[in-house]
Amino acid sequence: MDIEQKQAEHIDYFVKQASNLKGSSLGNLVVEATSHPSLFAFSEIISVPNVLELEGTENAAFLDLLRMFAHGTWSEYKSVASRLPPLVPDQVLKLKQLTVLTLAETNKVLPYDVLIQELDVKNVRELEDFLINDCMYVGIVRGKLDQLRRCFEVQFAAGRDLRPGQLGSMIQTISDWLSTSDNLLVSIQEKIRWADNMSEMDKKHRKGVEERVEEVKKTLSFKKLQTVSRPTPSSEGMKRSFPNMV
Amino acid sequence: MLKPFPSIFRQITEAAKGLGLEENMASSSSSGLTFKLHPLVIVNISDHYTRIKSQSLPPPSTPHAASASNGATSDSSSPPPQPPPRVFGCVIGVQRGRTVEIFNSFELLYDPSTHSLDRAFLEKKQELYKKVFPNFYILGWYSTGSDAQESDMQIHRDLMDINESPLYVLLNPSINPAQKDLPVTIYESELHVIDGIPQLIFVQSSYTIETVEAERISIDHVAHLKPSDGGSAATQLAAHLTGIHSAIKMLNSRIRVLHHYLLAMQKGDIPCENSLLREVSSLLRRLPAIESEKFQDDFLMEYNDTLLISYLAMFTNCSSTMNELVDKFNTAYDRHSRRGGRSAFI
Repeated sequence: MDIEQKQAEHIDYFVKQASNLKGSSLGNLVVEATSHPSLFAFSEIISVPNVLELEGTENAAFLDLLRMFAHGTWSEYKSVASRLPPLVPDQVLKLKQLTVLTLAETNKVLPYDVLIQELDVKNVRELEDFLINDCMYVGIVRGKLDQLRRCFEVQFAAGRDLRPGQLGSMIQTISDWLSTSDNLLVSIQEKIRWADNMSEMDKKHRKGVEERVEEVKKTLSFKKLQTVSRPTPSSEGMKRSFPNMV
Repeated sequence: MLKPFPSIFRQITEAAKGLGLEENMASSSSSGLTFKLHPLVIVNISDHYTRIKSQSLPPPSTPHAASASNGATSDSSSPPPQPPPRVFGCVIGVQRGRTVEIFNSFELLYDPSTHSLDRAFLEKKQELYKKVFPNFYILGWYSTGSDAQESDMQIHRDLMDINESPLYVLLNPSINPAQKDLPVTIYESELHVIDGIPQLIFVQSSYTIETVEAERISIDHVAHLKPSDGGSAATQLAAHLTGIHSAIKMLNSRIRVLHHYLLAMQKGDIPCENSLLREVSSLLRRLPAIESEKFQDDFLMEYNDTLLISYLAMFTNCSSTMNELVDKFNTAYDRHSRRGGRSAFI
């Protein structure tokens, strides 16, 4: 949320610039946009008509670069580096940050080894520096670093630009979430009803027991009146009636 | 253990707010001031009203229920139903630029004969409150009732010499189960020309609820008041589960809103708004919130502990009942066997 707000004005600025320029000057704009330290969203810039026109021209490389920044990772860039213009260090940093975001999409717990490999850093120290300074302080990622188990638990990660097919899977996830919470609501209501039923039964049982106690008391006092001179049979009566009471 | 939920919920609320779903009323005032109301004020007003109402009821009255945000429930069974008493008081707070924040309130004495508030009392209270909260000014006054009345304008005018544009906070104490919003309205006074005569009338304004952490905790506590004689486990369990149920229902409705929005976007009814989509995707990435192995371990451990404790309690209960039973048996057999000369040993 805060990321989006911080980005909003940069996005507006770049979109305005992009609609004013054409052709090769857009190349410079692309480089500027992808090196900007607070900008992580590129789909608005991509959808500007002037930028889309670059497709197929000699500057198409810049459009591909922009698309790479919108959806791709550092390893993908390395595999197609020959076709795309070279990156300045700011861009490299940004691409690595975006790589972390993509990795956080699939797993919540990212092992250090995977991160070291994907981000091309040499050791844990550099990795942690990168994560802390360039990801968490910027605010695109929130999470806990677990050195003992060598993993990074992601609690929150900012969203990247959507691929075309991602909307469908997002809708699917949301409908799953909805059905789970619906089921949960139903089961909670059942539990409430069960609790009420149980307390009803308990009250009835208690009332039944007390009634029987009253009954036995009455029969006892009746018998006592009858057999006041012969205590033995009355204790027999008590012996017989006590098991009933239990 | 359930720490993921509050922050996810906040994210959803903000995403839903981004869709323009605020839960406040439409405003018809044009002053451009934004009002922020603290829940403490609402609780104060309703508490004042409940107290006065229960004190004014005849002695054999039904026990009144202290409720959190709505006023007291129905009257006692005595015929002529009196009109509910109106209570009056003052609201204080801070005004910074165009934002008016109402923090606190206190009660005032109302003189029905002169239709005015007790001025000396107000000033004394104001002095006392100034000492404790030097920043707070008198922003207006409050009352209860279903609608603003003509006589209120008089009190409003009286207060205009303390604050040139006072606020009138009105709490509607009648409980309407169908109503979703808070029955609190804030009125401002505006000079409108009616029939050629400039008159002061009340116009309704919108407001938002603002709270600090400490306030939220106490309001939460009040809202979760269990019935005082709810000793039976079933009612407490039911109350607790009902709370959870309503919380999840709210979550459910907001997710449903997001769902509809995404579906509409997919069909193409709404132009794609990328920043919102990004926010939703980051939200969904936080799910599943409680799937990890560590959670399962801790959860099972707590579950087993609870079961063990209840088992132990049940054991203790059983053994004490058994002990009583054995004592009773002993008493019975003793009397019997004393005649036989043998003592029964059980």
